[in-house]
Amino acid sequence: MSSKPAVAMKKMFFREAIALAVREEMRANPDILILGQDVGPFGGSYREFDGLFEEFGAQRVRDMPVAEAAMVGVGVGAAAAGLRPIVSITYMDFMMLGFDPLINYGAKLRYKTGGQLTAPVVVKTTAGAKGQGVAHSQCIEAWLMSVPGLRVVAAATPADAYGLMKTALRSDGPVVYVDHKRLFPVAGEVPVGGDAVPFGSAKICRPGSDLTITTHSFMVRTALEAAKLLEKDGVSAEVIDLRSLAPLDMKTIVESVGRTGRLLTLEEGQITTGVGAEVVTRVIEHLGPVQFTRVGALPAPISSNRILEAACLPDANRVAAAARLLQSPKKLVSSY
Amino acid sequence: MTDQSPTAKLRMMKLIRAFEEALAARPDHGFQLISSGEEAVAVGLCSSLRPQDQLLTGGRSIGPAIARGVDPSRLMAELLGRSSGTNKGKGGRGHISDPASGFFGAHAVVGGNITIAAGVALALQMSGKEAVAVILFGDGAFGAGALHETLNIAASMKLPLLFVCNNNQLSVSTPRSMALAPARLSDIGIAFGIPSETVDGMDLDAVSAAISGALEHVRAKKGPAFVECISYRFASHSTTARETRSREQLTEIRARCPIVKQSGKLREAGALDDASEQELDRLVAGAVEAALKFADASPMPREEEALQDVI
Repeated sequence: MSSKPAVAMKKMFFREAIALAVREEMRANPDILILGQDVGPFGGSYREFDGLFEEFGAQRVRDMPVAEAAMVGVGVGAAAAGLRPIVSITYMDFMMLGFDPLINYGAKLRYKTGGQLTAPVVVKTTAGAKGQGVAHSQCIEAWLMSVPGLRVVAAATPADAYGLMKTALRSDGPVVYVDHKRLFPVAGEVPVGGDAVPFGSAKICRPGSDLTITTHSFMVRTALEAAKLLEKDGVSAEVIDLRSLAPLDMKTIVESVGRTGRLLTLEEGQITTGVGAEVVTRVIEHLGPVQFTRVGALPAPISSNRILEAACLPDANRVAAAARLLQSPKKLVSSY
Repeated sequence: MTDQSPTAKLRMMKLIRAFEEALAARPDHGFQLISSGEEAVAVGLCSSLRPQDQLLTGGRSIGPAIARGVDPSRLMAELLGRSSGTNKGKGGRGHISDPASGFFGAHAVVGGNITIAAGVALALQMSGKEAVAVILFGDGAFGAGALHETLNIAASMKLPLLFVCNNNQLSVSTPRSMALAPARLSDIGIAFGIPSETVDGMDLDAVSAAISGALEHVRAKKGPAFVECISYRFASHSTTARETRSREQLTEIRARCPIVKQSGKLREAGALDDASEQELDRLVAGAVEAALKFADASPMPREEEALQDVI
């Protein structure tokens, strides 16, 4: 091993942070390859693989047919046989087509073979609504959190997009790496050459004392906006970016709710058996009854119609309103 | 198989038959998929493979695993849930895995191992090794979308992958004629430019010849090949499934026994007589007895092992 390179802070877009992490890891590990639609010269639908085809060539950056089931299967199988593929699934909705190889095979491989084989594959996919309708907008990461053997992460900043991708590409089992359409144009400082972000480590993005908001991915930005609105009312919200959904960093969450006494969970997906439902349950298991509320998308498909899409998605005002309700009544509340 | 002699192949078929019958006779056999009647497919296929090749199968995997050289004792232990099994007793019948023996593994989702096999083939191709992956699946998996997707990818990437469809003509109770449109299943390869062949899966020599020819194509880096073996399943779908065929049908089917056929051929050629066949049967019975003894002497997993090797 060479000595640790110096860390340099560099401002870049979210998509550039992904490309940089992948590039650095591909340089370090010849077993990493990318399988996906339009990942080659096109550079990925959101240019999150820009320049990789040019550097690593068609053997390691492979455009695939529109066949998500086989694409995930080929990735998982190649991982089981010694490679470290990144399988790019353009929209998270399409991951459903690849659930069989990922969940029935990849996530169970270590267990079912008694530790003989593992599938170190990274399924990178893009969640979130951005005007593309009912089958191109979903956030279904909560579905995946319950699968034994699967790790699920979702970055909210370019720095974490970089650091979590590095950890994903060094993991010894399957990882679902969820990014977000509305985060790609976001810029931020990235500690280039810095430590990879470990899984199972949440981050307090804003300290507060009156309530804890747990969230992930794009909704971290919404939570921070809501926290500003609440500040004007004299309510101090602590915002926790979960970063890793499986495993969950319960220590950070429980410690925070233990201080604030109130919990608001926020996600862009559904709240029924959602990420928040799991966070709330585990917090109560640790702390006993606390006041909580869950905020997520309305229980309806996400339309490409901009009025209906906006109506479904949580925004800062809705989060702030739910937080205000949480401040007063003693009863437990749940709001859409 | 290291010994490629006709007698060794016959012994291997007998071993599969005796092993499965002994397993099915156990009161604690559990849910098993028996391959009796399909031994020529397993042995014809595996006798053409090299040590560095990897075989993946569907759930009816006992015969292919034995033919590939998985230790019968560790296999029996696995099938009976013992921790000394190939998969520490965790995989069970549909998930036997022993990559060190070239048996990458079974996977019990019908059609589920087809895409995985293409990934294994991709890894072998990129490693530069002179090795191929083989996916053995039944006619039940033929109707799954995974096959179409994988044929396309394997052909366009010229993957070192051999598709072998063991067409035993029954998917649990549904006859292949009710479920699958093509008259010849191997015709599916034509659209992808994949050399394809249909052979009599009850004839060891026919299977061996077809597989060897197909492997020659794959090993020459010309891309995948497809072989359909038409066979007959002697038992019902599983040890817990009802038999749907009549006694008359079963008698007629069992008269096509690939072991009897091979034995007859060897006797005709003067390579086998009563004494030497009895000797084969004695060796096989000894191996099965040893396997049962090994499994019975092995402990069941401890409860805490449920949480081991999960992540």
